[in-house]
Amino acid sequence: MGIWRELRKNRWLYAMSLPVVLYVFIFSYVPMTAHLLAFKQFIPAKGIWGSKWTGLDNLTFFFTGPDWLGVTMNTVYLNLLFIAAGTACSLCIALLLNEIRRAYFKKVTQSLVILPHFISIMVVNLMVLNFFNGQDGMINRLIDRIGFEPVNWFQTPAVWPYLLTIIFVWKGAGWGSIIYLATLTGFSEEYYESARIDGAKRWQQIRFITLPLLRPTIIVLTLLGLGRIFYGDFGLIYGIIGDNSLLFHSTDVIDTYTYRSLRSTNMNSYSNAAAVALFQSVMGLITILFFNWFVRRVDNDSKLF
Amino acid sequence: MASNQTRLLENSARSKPMRPAKQRDMSQLAVSAVAYIFIGAFSLLCFIPFWLIYIGSFTAESQIVQGFRMFPTEFSLDAYRFLLQGSQVYQSGFVSVFITVVGTSGAVLLTSMFAYAAAHPHVKYRYVLSFYIYFTMLFPPGLVGYYLLISNWLSLRDSLLALLLPLLFSAFNSFLMTSYFRTLPFELNEAATVDGAHELYIFFRIIWPISMPVIATITLFYALTYWNDWFNALMFIDDPHRHPLQMMLRRIISNSQNLNYLNTNVNIPVSATGVQLSTVVITIGPIIFLYPFLQKYFIKGLTIGAVKG
Repeated sequence: MGIWRELRKNRWLYAMSLPVVLYVFIFSYVPMTAHLLAFKQFIPAKGIWGSKWTGLDNLTFFFTGPDWLGVTMNTVYLNLLFIAAGTACSLCIALLLNEIRRAYFKKVTQSLVILPHFISIMVVNLMVLNFFNGQDGMINRLIDRIGFEPVNWFQTPAVWPYLLTIIFVWKGAGWGSIIYLATLTGFSEEYYESARIDGAKRWQQIRFITLPLLRPTIIVLTLLGLGRIFYGDFGLIYGIIGDNSLLFHSTDVIDTYTYRSLRSTNMNSYSNAAAVALFQSVMGLITILFFNWFVRRVDNDSKLF
Repeated sequence: MASNQTRLLENSARSKPMRPAKQRDMSQLAVSAVAYIFIGAFSLLCFIPFWLIYIGSFTAESQIVQGFRMFPTEFSLDAYRFLLQGSQVYQSGFVSVFITVVGTSGAVLLTSMFAYAAAHPHVKYRYVLSFYIYFTMLFPPGLVGYYLLISNWLSLRDSLLALLLPLLFSAFNSFLMTSYFRTLPFELNEAATVDGAHELYIFFRIIWPISMPVIATITLFYALTYWNDWFNALMFIDDPHRHPLQMMLRRIISNSQNLNYLNTNVNIPVSATGVQLSTVVITIGPIIFLYPFLQKYFIKGLTIGAVKG
């Protein structure tokens, strides 16, 4: 009744949304059923529904295995590093770009800091290889020239969380600054005017006016990042680390782990991977609901939904 | 005496606001100096790797093995000659251009139509539509379902559709557009409806022209996603004839001994590094030339879409 009337009345508008509704159904909702595989022993020929139920076996297998704690910790730790470093650098870039008065300088530098965002991770991968490669990589030549012992980067797991963070910041911080910059150019000049009359120094204006006004934006963007804390940056990590098992100890994340389980020749590979994927999706949902609840209590204006 | 006093008064009247002004200038100057130095340094850092790759790709073989240089030493086009005489680069180039053009057009059309409906105040279930999309971000389907969908259920292995379909819609882009459309004055719509215009006519003839910033932004985003995609190729494409450029690049990086992959039948002594660098230049070429022109649009589009959206 009500529904049909509404659909009829705005049929053209609903028709315009229909392709995406169908698309999302097929490409997002249908694949969700694969989470069921976590409770089954999947045999592709039999399909999801025909395969045998095995209860919690796959989950037990994952949680009693040696890997799960490691990959989960790596995922969370790397994401925390990425969020902290990324936010700080993006903010710095936005605040400082805002101080630059020469239009030409500003235009050129802004184009340059955004540039790395536009290239594929494969190109970054190649750069990283050429810079950090064994003896003849650029970085090692440099280290050698100033008289230190070259490091075999691709065999040293301990440095990679930090190197990945640097690469992440290099690739994304300039791009991330756009939203901050766009927000802060919208702030009313009056705040600064009155602060100047009170004798506020430039950095005091940044600290006591710009930053507090940016707070909601910072919170929302950080929340969005935290909501995805159980999702590794597959492109960045797999693109650079690949299957180099020497570095798994510090860089293997849930996504790369699932990918490898899926690709393994193990008979139960789909179900094992599905158990990991289910764990990831559920944890992701819980985190985002938690952070949203948390922010709603602290600062209702900044909540996501 | 009197004139002296007035001069003193004038001086003090003038110098009183002068003193804080001078301090302000100093702090402004210090902040500016930090800004120019930091931003200058960071943008150089962003630029140097590209510079090294461009220079490297034009450098003679004998020089490149000695490491990258900031300035060209011995100019050579051998790496490009080698690359461009093979057939793989044309096949992959075609695949990349094809999926980028077709995919982006389709994606922009679908996304904008959906976003328009989801933003339209007459649509009673517009928030249901938004939540329907939003939920897929809260609870993503996971890699296994995605893999099964493309390779088993839709049987798209080794098909160009496996590169086209998965990227046809992005929830993030859709939200950006929706919040942009929400800022448009609705009176436009009403006036046109009163004149008897059809919804589709209103959308394509009235809404599109005034939404150019956001449409340009979304076009760029989709185009980049398609152009830079390697994940779907890695998962679903085994046939080298259907490898996009990014996958070709991955192939010659991860298996650098095997330049046969490029199907070159000429004999030029080149190293893997030289060929990799020239491939990178060809891969990122179009983007570097395109994006400075679009920058104005996407900063505007992002601003309107994302700020308090």
